Amino acid sequence: MIMSTQLVCLFAAGAFIVIGLFAAIFIDNIIKKIIGIAFIEEGVNLFIVTLGYKAGGVVPIFLENMSPDWFVANSAYPLPQALVLTSIVIGASTLAVMLALAMVLYKKHGSLSTKVILGDKND
Amino acid sequence: MMDMLIPLMVIIPIICALMVNILHGKDKLMRWVSLIVAIIFPIIAIIASLGTQYFGGHNSSLISSALPATLASVSSLSPGIVYVFANINRIFIFLVGIVVFLSLFTYFSERKKLSGPYLFLIFMGVASVTALLLSNDIFNMYVFFEIVALTQVGIIIASSSEYKYETAFKYLILGSIGGPMLLLGIGFILAVVGSVNIADIVAVISTNVVNPLATPLIFAFALMFFGWLYVSGLPPFHTIKSELYSRARPNGAAILQAFSVICMIAFGIAIYRIFVYVPFFKPAIIIFSLLAMVLGVSMALMQNDFRRMIAFLAVGELGFIGLGFGIGTQLSITAALFQAANELIITALLFIGFGTVYYLTKTSDTKKLGGLITVSPKMAIMVLLGGFAMAGVPPFNGFQSKIMLVQSALNAGLPELAIVAVIVSIVTFFTFVKAFHTVYLQPKPANLKFAHKKIPAIATFSVAVLLIICLILGILPDLVTKIFIPFAGGLI
Amino acid sequence: MIEYIVIVIAVISAIIALMQKDLLKTAILTGISGACIAFLFVLLLAPDVALTQAVVEAAIVPVFIALAVQKTKRVDDS
Repeated sequence: MIMSTQLVCLFAAGAFIVIGLFAAIFIDNIIKKIIGIAFIEEGVNLFIVTLGYKAGGVVPIFLENMSPDWFVANSAYPLPQALVLTSIVIGASTLAVMLALAMVLYKKHGSLSTKVILGDKND
Repeated sequence: MMDMLIPLMVIIPIICALMVNILHGKDKLMRWVSLIVAIIFPIIAIIASLGTQYFGGHNSSLISSALPATLASVSSLSPGIVYVFANINRIFIFLVGIVVFLSLFTYFSERKKLSGPYLFLIFMGVASVTALLLSNDIFNMYVFFEIVALTQVGIIIASSSEYKYETAFKYLILGSIGGPMLLLGIGFILAVVGSVNIADIVAVISTNVVNPLATPLIFAFALMFFGWLYVSGLPPFHTIKSELYSRARPNGAAILQAFSVICMIAFGIAIYRIFVYVPFFKPAIIIFSLLAMVLGVSMALMQNDFRRMIAFLAVGELGFIGLGFGIGTQLSITAALFQAANELIITALLFIGFGTVYYLTKTSDTKKLGGLITVSPKMAIMVLLGGFAMAGVPPFNGFQSKIMLVQSALNAGLPELAIVAVIVSIVTFFTFVKAFHTVYLQPKPANLKFAHKKIPAIATFSVAVLLIICLILGILPDLVTKIFIPFAGGLI
Repeated sequence: MIEYIVIVIAVISAIIALMQKDLLKTAILTGISGACIAFLFVLLLAPDVALTQAVVEAAIVPVFIALAVQKTKRVDDS
């Protein structure tokens, strides 16, 4: 059975979110935890872009030689793409802050293990 | 001309944030710039006229008449970002402005050397919180919420507590799970409705263009509800949120909690408008709010650290706001909004007031403290009155909002909730009085050292102003409730 | 057909990245899965998103991670 591009991309997005959640919750190494979070964000971005896809459509850029009717019927929906542009940048900046914190925490505790970093305090 | 003031409410703090960051090192100039902006900001909120701001000129009603008929179906959705400025936004923006101004004032009086990046974070947070309140677009709200979360982390890192990096990291990890879940929920709504504008979503769902109980919409509700729990710090996120408050500088914590309350209100109203028809919407909110109230107060009872104690009490108070949304009558939503406005003020008062204890002694462990009433009886009495306001003792504002909430629970035929609310208030009272007694009244321990001799007069002034606002709202609740009541009526 | 191959590469490199003992390899594999997703965006008719994704997730993020790894510890010994 051959699935449509849209469906297969939705599955890929789901796979990324699940892999990322697993990594963020269960992996002990903080760098890998952070990478897992980056995967969650990638999965969500892929999901949102997939929503705008139209099978056999065109890129949502309006050219002179297109009629508006044909363009509306055939172009991909551009709103999700506009949203994802912002969300990619947010993801990258959060990642940068988290990596900086990881470096500071490594300097303080001498380890990248979550158990060591978050475990040994008199909460 | 007056319409320009709506976007300016977001732009001015951003410009100020960039300026103070550049001015780092020139203390006097930084002080003046930030104080002037902090004064201008609430004033703009008062004088700005009500209205709607369409960014990029995407006023859908104007466009649809000018477009060819074939595109009319597309343009019925508003593609641009829309800011709506109503009276309720005016109140909350004004209150945030007051809290930020007084906290900054206190911060300036306590420190000789100022930090430009710290002020940058605070003003960036103010701008984002304002945008959150104004925006009528869930994706825009998500973006600004992420900025608020990053500034909150930054404010923690700027403090001097021992475990600040660990707390900041934990908050970011949890936030990076909660944030994408919120975005995923927005994605599901986008899949069904094709727009992220709240008014459009509500219109599409309420006219049954799409099946309101379709599985994607229910998924979207679950994910956005989870996101809302994270945004507002209800359980299971109450421990990290209270840890966040207690690790920050006390006047920073006053600002942090104001941000949290605003985020909770903004997202709460958005979710309420979109998903109120979902059958388990109200029970879900009530359950998590009750958990927040009970857990917040009971964990506050066990704390030896007074900053941690206020932080947990603040989370417990958030439960009251959620409860009002959960009961879902006009009176209860009015009570929830009123409670939010009150909590903003009262918790800021307590953080700044008790913050002076930390300023004097550099410790927040109640076991090491005592006898501080001799240092400043004025401050002690004002903090006590602030605690009374939080616990809901007349004639303060906490009493007015809580009695309204209890009344609405009784009217809605849910007396159990009213009983829990009253019990939680009583326990709050005892927790607070116990902490007050250990910090101020019991004999001073012999080994208590002072880092500073006196409380800065400006801190006393800030707390006094906040207390006066509490009293005014307590005696004349109509000032704000007459705005909340029609708004709540419009929500239902 | 090509989207199947790209997706399989993306998911497998993500999983392998998380199983690596050497964190520098993890950084590179993250970049590969990011680049695959950028390619998917082109297939999904979003070329400008693909450009951003290619720059951010396939170039900047791996460099950030590699820098963080270099400043901390290269081996994940848990």
